[in-house]
Amino acid sequence: MDKNHIRNFSIIAHIDHGKSTLADRILEITNAVSKREAKAQLLDSMDIERERGITIKLNTASLKYTYNNEEYTLNLIDTPGHVDFSYEVSRSLASCEGAILVVDASQGIEAQTLANLYLALENNLTIIPVINKIDLPNADVAKVKQELINLIGFQEEDIILTSAKTGEGIKELVDRIVEVIPPPKGEENLPLQGLIFDSIFDSYRGVIISVRIVNGVLKVKDTIKMMQTGAVYEVVDLMINTPKEVKKTSLKAGEVGFVAASIKSISDVKVGDTITLFKNPCMAPLPGYKPMKSMVFCGLFPIESSKFEELREALSKLQLNDASLLFEPETSTALGFGFRCGFLGLLHMDIIKERVTREFGIELITTAPSVVYEAYLNNKEMIIVDSPSKMPDKTLLKEVKEPYIKTNIFTPSEYIGPIMELCQNKRGSYISMEYIDPTRVNIHYELPLSEIVYDFFDKLKSYTKGYASFDYELIGYKTSDLVKMDILLNGEIVDALSIIVHKDFAYQRGRAIVENLKKNIPRQLFEVPIQASIGNHVIARETVKALRKDVLAKCYGGDITRKRKLLEKQKEGKKRMKQVGSIELPQEAFMSVLSMDTDE
Amino acid sequence: MMKNIKSMYIHIPFCSSICSYCDFCKQFYNEKLVDKYLLALEKEIYSRYHGEVLSTIYIGGGTPSCLNLNQLSKLFSILESLTLDNNYEFTIEVNINDIQKEKLELFKKVGINRISIGVETINEKFSSFLNRTINYQSILNKINLVKKYFNNISMDLMYAFFYEEYEDLDKDLHFIKMIDIPHISIYSLIIEEHTKLYIDKVESIAEEKEAKMYYKIVNYLKKIGYKHYEISNFSKDGYVSKHNMTYWNNEEYYGFGLGASGYVNGIRYTNTKNINCYLKGEYIYLEEKQNKWISMENEMILGLRKIKGVNKKSFFEKYGYNIEQIFDIMNLLDKRLLIDNGKYLYIPEDKLYISNSILVNFIGGSNGKR
Repeated sequence: MDKNHIRNFSIIAHIDHGKSTLADRILEITNAVSKREAKAQLLDSMDIERERGITIKLNTASLKYTYNNEEYTLNLIDTPGHVDFSYEVSRSLASCEGAILVVDASQGIEAQTLANLYLALENNLTIIPVINKIDLPNADVAKVKQELINLIGFQEEDIILTSAKTGEGIKELVDRIVEVIPPPKGEENLPLQGLIFDSIFDSYRGVIISVRIVNGVLKVKDTIKMMQTGAVYEVVDLMINTPKEVKKTSLKAGEVGFVAASIKSISDVKVGDTITLFKNPCMAPLPGYKPMKSMVFCGLFPIESSKFEELREALSKLQLNDASLLFEPETSTALGFGFRCGFLGLLHMDIIKERVTREFGIELITTAPSVVYEAYLNNKEMIIVDSPSKMPDKTLLKEVKEPYIKTNIFTPSEYIGPIMELCQNKRGSYISMEYIDPTRVNIHYELPLSEIVYDFFDKLKSYTKGYASFDYELIGYKTSDLVKMDILLNGEIVDALSIIVHKDFAYQRGRAIVENLKKNIPRQLFEVPIQASIGNHVIARETVKALRKDVLAKCYGGDITRKRKLLEKQKEGKKRMKQVGSIELPQEAFMSVLSMDTDE
Repeated sequence: MMKNIKSMYIHIPFCSSICSYCDFCKQFYNEKLVDKYLLALEKEIYSRYHGEVLSTIYIGGGTPSCLNLNQLSKLFSILESLTLDNNYEFTIEVNINDIQKEKLELFKKVGINRISIGVETINEKFSSFLNRTINYQSILNKINLVKKYFNNISMDLMYAFFYEEYEDLDKDLHFIKMIDIPHISIYSLIIEEHTKLYIDKVESIAEEKEAKMYYKIVNYLKKIGYKHYEISNFSKDGYVSKHNMTYWNNEEYYGFGLGASGYVNGIRYTNTKNINCYLKGEYIYLEEKQNKWISMENEMILGLRKIKGVNKKSFFEKYGYNIEQIFDIMNLLDKRLLIDNGKYLYIPEDKLYISNSILVNFIGGSNGKR
């Protein structure tokens, strides 16, 4: 296939705006799948993806489409929609020449839409604006059109109206892809440059790389080299996905496909890296590579200490498929042996926790997520603090820096007040605000990342009745007046409950934490004092009263089975608690340390 | 085949009014339905009972006393062919409203020798809350009438009503002292799902207060001569409920009637709660074979409800193991959550009201394997 008949494109959208359904319709119209095969949302294959309605692992489909009697190859490159994966998204977009921007006709433009749009524009993509779900009774096409025109500067006649549900507008959209998205550039005669934009681990064939050939030609049996990692392999198979797997003998400049090369270790394959030929390498790697960086860390501890090795195995297995997951053994006096794990973001963390529990059957206690601080010592040394326990002693410290983000918060204007209050409470500083249309604004704040790791998003939703959407970008590290706060139960420091807080908010946080711990620690057989302390100063205290009532009522008619069931249930609940000293703590207790205020 | 079963429970699921707290198997009284029910009950009893000599029979409900005289006669004629030993205990539950001369005489005639009266409270301010209609004077009159025919009488006392104060409880306790009957069962108001109270979102009183009330009752009843023999049961000398002891001793018993449970031939079963199924003869809803492990666990979780506790020697004789070989009780003994007096293992009185947290240590998992 000559390059002029190839179109590489992605679909970008806010969650739930219909990206996956739209992809299904495109697969149907190109006859890639029959209607019957088109089980809802073909491209999302993991269970969790389906349940959460998000796309985690990338997928690419090569589709045939006839336009003006000429056959074209359309490569649809799917992208995850969440901010945690924005680097992966940017690399997928870098493999494309165009993107379809999908906006829900009833919801309008959201923060996430815009964040991904900017990524696409950075990569010089041609954008096709689409208003989807026009069949919905509450669709407001005119209003959303105005948003696209005012906010992003599209021409009205360029906007395509679709309903992925009914199929309306899909043909027009696919025609438009052929018409306006430029064919790939690149030279087959130049040395090979292939952009790695995704990888998965297959237990039979090793790591399978998703690649966009930018220049040159890649053939089966070629010896390839990854420019960042230096790893060298021989290509075993080249494939495309139609979406059935089809073997190829070569992939040429402009094409998208998969490479299998018996790669055992996923750490050899980094998203954003460049594949070249070992014998005839290119001069320079493709631009844009960034090493993966964990943004959020937390401790994962098996509730049953005996499952430590099983947990290690589970994490290793997950890591095969997910190079962005980091873990190293961690020992806690309170929780025993576990792992300190690094994640791209909170969603990534949730997904891993859920998979460990669901796929490997290991009940976990997770400690509160923490961001990565930089601690500068008086002797000019810098220590990376990804766990409160690693925070150096105050006397050694010159200063501590923490990561900051800049927000895009899209909201109806009546919620500006509550949102500003929320951001202020989270140590935010106001930057600016833009009106998208007369009733909606985009609010920019600078916030410490640590302030959004837990309940910011939930709070935002409840403050705005779900009408606001939120996205952020990292803007770097700033100095903050941070201190370590310890929590004592029964007079003993529980290391797994320690956190790093801003000094000015320490008292308030301390209060909130002890109050929430009081709510979340079930009554024990004895009284449990809870204290929050900084250094040796106790700044807040509460007490969990001793259990006074835990008894089965009088037994009517000898129904012993039912009584026993109640005790069995109680026993099950007990199993999900972690024994810390003489106290039994449920998972919620470990999350209490994230509480910001006392009104919950 | 004859079995070594000495007790029988019979459930009469009908009530003339429904109490707001009741989540037990019950329905409104309906004359024709009761007639049909009694026929089905007769069939059930004689399809399973094989002439064993019984020491105890307990007719509970529901409200057995709401049946009319003819129906009661029919019920007792069914039970006429049961074989009873010389020291038998035959109890019927009676609603205070239903107490009348004719019924009491009938009870006496057919050999009933123990009456359990659901009084709950004499505080009129709680009766509408409980959806019961009775006043103090008639409670007094009715109990005195029962006393003319029977001396083995038990009374239910309920506590921990929302808004209940210690003075309210005192009134009930003084009444018990004054009325002087040999057996008292107490239980706290529990707001169970599927009850009117639950639907009305009535709240429970604070844990501390409820526990205080419990110990206040325990201390008071002991002071006026009752023996505390099980978490929620008290008796004067010689008036322990033999029937209930069957349960706490983990012994087998027949259970007949809608929603009744029983324990026969190593199987614990629960009957259907669907009256139509029951009338068609589809009695059993659930059966669970009790293996040795589950039996030993039950021996403990039931036996530890008794104030005296579990007899260590009897346990060994029954199962061939000492309790310590099966259960890890060292920790409980160290913390004095369990006491070993040489003969018995028991929960000390001040820990009775948190006994579940002790009993869960005897549950090995839902399949009973350890």
